[in-house]
Amino acid sequence: MKLTELFRQKKSVITSEVGPVKGCVRLNGGPPPEFLQEALNIKDYVDAVNITDNQSAVMRLGPLAGSVLMKQYGMDPIFQMTCRDRNRLALQSDLLSACSLGIDNVLCLTGDHIKFGDHKAAKQVFDIDSVQLLHIARGLNEGHDMSGNQLTKATNLALGAAATPSFKPLDLHLLKMEKKVKAGAEFFQTQPVYDPRHYEEFARKTEGFGVPVMFGLVVIKSPQMGRFINDNVAGIDVPESLIQEMASVPKEQYKAKATEICIRLLKDIAPMCQGIHFMPFGWSDIIPTVLAEIKPYFPK
Amino acid sequence: MIGTTKKPMTEILQALEGHDKVALVGCDGCAKVCLTGGTDEVAALSKDLEAQGKQVILEVTPERTCNVAKADPVLKPVQDKLQEADAVLVLGCGGAVQITRHLTEVYGLTIPVKTGLDSVGHMDTLVPGTLALEQCQECGQCILNETGGICPVTKCAKGLLEGPCGGAQDGKCEADLSRDCAWILIYNRMQALGELDKLKRYMGPKDYSKAARPRTLYIKEGRVT
Repeated sequence: MKLTELFRQKKSVITSEVGPVKGCVRLNGGPPPEFLQEALNIKDYVDAVNITDNQSAVMRLGPLAGSVLMKQYGMDPIFQMTCRDRNRLALQSDLLSACSLGIDNVLCLTGDHIKFGDHKAAKQVFDIDSVQLLHIARGLNEGHDMSGNQLTKATNLALGAAATPSFKPLDLHLLKMEKKVKAGAEFFQTQPVYDPRHYEEFARKTEGFGVPVMFGLVVIKSPQMGRFINDNVAGIDVPESLIQEMASVPKEQYKAKATEICIRLLKDIAPMCQGIHFMPFGWSDIIPTVLAEIKPYFPK
Repeated sequence: MIGTTKKPMTEILQALEGHDKVALVGCDGCAKVCLTGGTDEVAALSKDLEAQGKQVILEVTPERTCNVAKADPVLKPVQDKLQEADAVLVLGCGGAVQITRHLTEVYGLTIPVKTGLDSVGHMDTLVPGTLALEQCQECGQCILNETGGICPVTKCAKGLLEGPCGGAQDGKCEADLSRDCAWILIYNRMQALGELDKLKRYMGPKDYSKAARPRTLYIKEGRVT
């Protein structure tokens, strides 16, 4: 189902995210691969699950195959699409393919720089960028390609976009978000922030866009992970206080502490957004507990 | 200018393997500015090659070797020396190497023309003798009028046209934290000029047919194909 339909019903939408494996997946009746199993574990708790596209520029199974597999297991995928590895012909073609294969939701991204990945000598494409991809995808939904040629049948995809509440200067980022809305974005999934006051400012400044915003939350699984993100991941700032809080408990209690932090943060932020996008990095099993605690805090 | 760096001696010797008599052709244009192929660098390499057992039989340094109008008057009078050489080694950009090769063909010589440099981009000198920056990709569709005179095609690590990616940290580019985020520079510049509204415009995908290589410039007509 298109997420836009759920937003129209004023539902607080819940999504999660998995990264495909680095390898071929041919099930032959065997058990689903780990990334699918992680999604299946929370099937009854989320509306859809993002499938990342060569995340961090590391080559893996493609998100189109991952999305189709997810559909086969009865789940709704959000097909992530970056502009780093494909030119405008390939991107449009894959959007047609995605819709033809039953995918309803696509997240249009620019993509991480090639230097962060495992093929550093590759030529990065960036023929177009996220704003232009949204514009092009909206054109396909309207029945024409970006050159104006008519399609035999239009796509019918809900178009998502990313946002970074911690970007400085924020006004420059808001300017780009506005361009995404004008280009066709129908919902946003954000990068995380861990200070509710920070998110409040962002929410106040974006409410006029008229597009639902899902708060994205990376689950900090250990103090080391917090530090790694601060040192290596662009657009996410994990406060030292949160890292210290994780470090204050023994390792075997990290999951319980991470769950507690997620609940505390989301109780403050859930009333300010139209949905939650979890990035649990293997800890999907905490999502049911977190959701049970924060449900009363969603906007009525 | 065209930025150049010196190839390692091992690579140069590999290129000159089997060629003992060498003619050196430098460039007193861009390569001189980059300290890679001016008169001084040609003389220095000549000594180094002699030390490696090569016989350098010619050293010339046209003012701009990439321009036949400058290279031909220097090379034409020394055709006999070029003919005597086993190979020509050019200390210039890729253009200088190919103009030199072209001229040897015009002179009826079939002689290997090798390069001693790597070309590393269209560069602009910020600190003479010290620092040059890549600021233009010759895309054939200049948008500097729209972006406060700062080129995102070249200075943004992803060449983004519609605004920054989400990765800047403290104003620096996620791909190289020693470099400013081009879009934050553009934003600050446009704000100072009172032209922020211009950044709200949808730029649209670039027309890469204007950058399709190889391009030919018909100078009199101002036409590119």
